[in-house]
Amino acid sequence: MLRKIMLAATTALLSIGPVMAADDLLTASWDDVIAQAKQEGELNWYVWYFQPEFREQVRVFEDLYGIKVNVPDVTSGDDVKNKLLAEAGREVGDIDVIALGGDAANTIDVTKVFYGPILPVLPEAGALTDKINGGDGQGYAVAYWGNQTGMAYDSNRVDVATLPQTLDELAAWIDANPGQLGFNYEKGGSGPSFIHNIARNILGIAPDAVIDAVPDLAPVWDWFNAREDKFVITGSNADSLTRLNSGEFLMVPAWEDMLFSLQTKNEVGSQIKLYVPDWGMNGGGNIVAIPANAPNKAAALLFVSWLTSADTQTAFNQRFGTAPANSNADSSKALVSAAERANTRLWTMPINSNDVVPAFIENVVQD
Amino acid sequence: MRRTLFVLLLLAPGLGLVLAFVSLVLYVAVSQSFGLYNLGGDSVFSLAHWQAMLGERRYWRALQYSAYIAVTASLLAVALAYPVALLLRKPFRGSLTLSALIKAPLLVPGLVAAFLFVNVISYHGIVNQLMLSLGLWDAPVRLQNDKNGYGVILLQVWKQLPFAFLLLSAAVQALPDAVLLAARDLGAGPLDRFRKVVLPLTAGAMQAALVLIFIGAAGDFSFQAVAGPPSVDSLATLMTSVQSTQGDWNGAAVVAVTLMALSLFGSAALAILVRGATRLARG
Repeated sequence: MLRKIMLAATTALLSIGPVMAADDLLTASWDDVIAQAKQEGELNWYVWYFQPEFREQVRVFEDLYGIKVNVPDVTSGDDVKNKLLAEAGREVGDIDVIALGGDAANTIDVTKVFYGPILPVLPEAGALTDKINGGDGQGYAVAYWGNQTGMAYDSNRVDVATLPQTLDELAAWIDANPGQLGFNYEKGGSGPSFIHNIARNILGIAPDAVIDAVPDLAPVWDWFNAREDKFVITGSNADSLTRLNSGEFLMVPAWEDMLFSLQTKNEVGSQIKLYVPDWGMNGGGNIVAIPANAPNKAAALLFVSWLTSADTQTAFNQRFGTAPANSNADSSKALVSAAERANTRLWTMPINSNDVVPAFIENVVQD
Repeated sequence: MRRTLFVLLLLAPGLGLVLAFVSLVLYVAVSQSFGLYNLGGDSVFSLAHWQAMLGERRYWRALQYSAYIAVTASLLAVALAYPVALLLRKPFRGSLTLSALIKAPLLVPGLVAAFLFVNVISYHGIVNQLMLSLGLWDAPVRLQNDKNGYGVILLQVWKQLPFAFLLLSAAVQALPDAVLLAARDLGAGPLDRFRKVVLPLTAGAMQAALVLIFIGAAGDFSFQAVAGPPSVDSLATLMTSVQSTQGDWNGAAVVAVTLMALSLFGSAALAILVRGATRLARG
């Protein structure tokens, strides 16, 4: 009996093979990482958006490496972050790879909560970045999704030459087209990006200015309140685009990737175009990281490498219209031209949008 | 003693479960509103979350709006259900079909109804198309998410009318014919019979209907989220917004406690109002 048990145990050990310690992964050869990842055979990627699309997209990875990728249903980015923090004290958590907004890197002690630094280990590290959306991943979190807010308009009814580019032009456009501008203040970031950038322009603060404290925002509320009968508050990002598409509005703020995705699914017509005005609209992106207590670290590392590779980033650009997070990727399918992308602004600088949007709700929406 | 114990044992599975859950929810919500059971930091008793929320205009508007929707919807639903319940008191040809039609909204989930409603009244929806084709409107009218919450009230009345009807029709059908005939013989017209006989004898059912509808409408999330005005929250949408967009569990707990207080005191006030109104009507 004892011999049988010993034999079974030896066989089991041999079939498992050598298992590297987690720290070894950061110094191991990439071939060893791949071998270890294949042994682990599975990983859980927590991402809060486009889950059905990502489940299709990760099949490429699954076919390539034979590693199963589970994309659980998660309702919001905050839920993902709450789960990460809630189980940070556990020896082994549920999350192998986590996606977060780039700015989240500044609200978490990435060196403790995440495994790494992983950026230098990735084969395409030279083409990648750990800084996006105003956040610094410090090598522990890597950008994998670039997105941009802009102004979506109905090109059948709006002449490109008349598109407002400055605050004064926008004010004149609103006067000339009352009720034709819609934007949301929550349930999505496109409206908040618009509010944030208009506020900065009203205050006359340059995008690269450095300010010590939040200035008096009263002129911003005055500007919006003076035009409250000429714009419409919508329910969400999606509501804005749906109503633009139906002809109710001429112009709404929108996310580039969201518009692209809806147009790919024929839910929004091709007449809806996007531009990034000179007054600026926020751009940013999302990061992926491996929690320090991830159960399948090698598979997670391999997955992050695949996710940020030039091939995958090109595929994301073609499928979702994202701004690639890998400088070697092809970005030709994006809705926004490279020239207009220069008008991209940060959510956190020079004024933080969190200092503007809640106050907007209190002083304009509730007024 | 043994009998009391027996009764308590019989009640325990149902009532005990309800009481246990209600107590737990209340305890956690109230505690969180005072900084205890804190999910995002240290648990320290504090009035800061109440102070912060009470200082926000958004909170007061949400409270006012939820109370307005709940009072209007409950009164309208009951007012509309009364005549139908009286009409259907005695069976007639087609009364069963009519009764079934009134109960039909019970089969349609609120969220589905809200989406259908928004589609119907959207900028290029059926209503706008009809009015344009009839030449009554020159251009489409923006009806969706109206700022007065009329759409939400309409949905609430549509959804809650069957509850009011079921409660009132049971009470109306239980009225003895002899009493109504006697009132008529004594010279009471239809209005007097309603005021002095029907209303006092069915006031209990009306109170129950008002209270149930008030509580349901005060806590509405789905109708408000889909068809409500974007510039104002209901308490339920504010609670989720405070939690999900600001990650403020304590602030959300403050709103939750407010919502429970509105349900309790609002429904009590309505019940007292009905009692007073009934006495006045009776003369």
